[in-house]
Amino acid sequence: MLLLISEHPDDRLFVHTIGEELGLPVHSVAQFDAGAKWLMTQEATAIFINVSSEASFRKLESALEATVGLFSDKANPNRMHFLSSLDLSESGHLLMSPLFGSFVSTNYGDPVISGKRYSYILRGSLDERIFGPKKLFSSAAKTQQVAFASTSQKQSGVEGVRNFLLHAKFKSRMATIISNAVDELVMNAMFDAPVDPLGKQIYLTTSRNTVLTLKDRSVVEMSVAYDGDYVGISAVDQWGSLDKQKLFEHLSRRYAKEEYRVKSTSAGAGIGLATVFRTGGSFLFACEKGVRTEVTTFFRKTDNFREFKDQFRFIATQFYF
Amino acid sequence: MLNVVKEQSGAGLVVRMSGSIEESVDFDQLIGAAQGNLIIHTKGVNRINSVGVKAWIRYFQTAVSKGAKLKFVECSTAIVEQINLISNFTCGGEVESIYVPFTCEDDNSELVGLFKVSDIVKMGFQIPPMKNPKTGGKAVFDDIPEEYFGFLMSKK
Repeated sequence: MLLLISEHPDDRLFVHTIGEELGLPVHSVAQFDAGAKWLMTQEATAIFINVSSEASFRKLESALEATVGLFSDKANPNRMHFLSSLDLSESGHLLMSPLFGSFVSTNYGDPVISGKRYSYILRGSLDERIFGPKKLFSSAAKTQQVAFASTSQKQSGVEGVRNFLLHAKFKSRMATIISNAVDELVMNAMFDAPVDPLGKQIYLTTSRNTVLTLKDRSVVEMSVAYDGDYVGISAVDQWGSLDKQKLFEHLSRRYAKEEYRVKSTSAGAGIGLATVFRTGGSFLFACEKGVRTEVTTFFRKTDNFREFKDQFRFIATQFYF
Repeated sequence: MLNVVKEQSGAGLVVRMSGSIEESVDFDQLIGAAQGNLIIHTKGVNRINSVGVKAWIRYFQTAVSKGAKLKFVECSTAIVEQINLISNFTCGGEVESIYVPFTCEDDNSELVGLFKVSDIVKMGFQIPPMKNPKTGGKAVFDDIPEEYFGFLMSKK
């Protein structure tokens, strides 16, 4: 059963669509207290909560604390999906909460179409592990996978994705933005994911232009899946070193409002993921600690760029410890 | 990979960039130590990644700290996106003109039109349709005005 805590009709339509796609009934309540009390006696497969203001989020926290507890398995972040109309840069209170799992913008466009897309994320999250592009698309979607044996192959991979998108009739500006997103994900997998036994980044200060041979655990894979409507591109590493807090700090930064300061303590720029999100991309971050990280970005193909930039967006996470 | 063509004019050093700006870029080598007026044309820049942004800001901030005056001309859509995303991307330089994206209503093709930013402000950010020279059809501005012209609106 899915639990929805919201009084907004669009949220209901969105979550009911997901329920229909997955064959799961939806229990819908308007108040946090009612939802938290329901959780005391019932099991929710996933919980969708509208928390479009910090005040409402604090009410939710209090209601859960007074009933099932903030660290209860009933409030497992992997099952939590926060629905919010706030900009990500105004959502620090959500991102920093121990409850935080996934962020879904309520700028749904069509809640039914968006619900159908998100149902793949939820379906994957119900498996033991969400890994693999096939879980995130219908069986009719075309998928391709490549493995990089050297960091020098990244640019040709990025160009390959761009050509694939142009062939699939994405507008060139969209194809450029998506291939830039791929550039960021693959670069992170190549240079940011490798860590030493103490968890320290091995290539923190290594120039991103350095040619490294990628073998054994350092091999980076990329997969592209396309169903004619959405494209999903994943970068996969075998380190499982993604840090949830650092990730949210990067994502929530908005350099249109604050100045970007060049840091020499890291060779990376720290702005790639936030840029991808702000240019229309959605994310799924799936990480099994010490084993594997898959970062997938999703973009919808639209008729014009205005719709592309204003498309339905989410940041979903699944962390396995 | 980025290509740079330099040319000294009466107004200063003109730098024409084309290609992608990413981790291989070395502005110190491509442009050299900048001083005086620097007029940067980016019409041909189709892509810039995060490490490219970092290299860009590092180079132009250093140039400004040494007294260079920056003017950005014919900014491509990729560069305009960065100007909007990163508040200090122009490092205090003046943006003179930008390419504005259009979509043709007849064949859905993409076009760009060059506008002086002063004219865009005068038009109240309402960009009139242009004619697609290939089809003769109407091409309309294709982006979100508050986002594409955000850097100009925030100055108003």
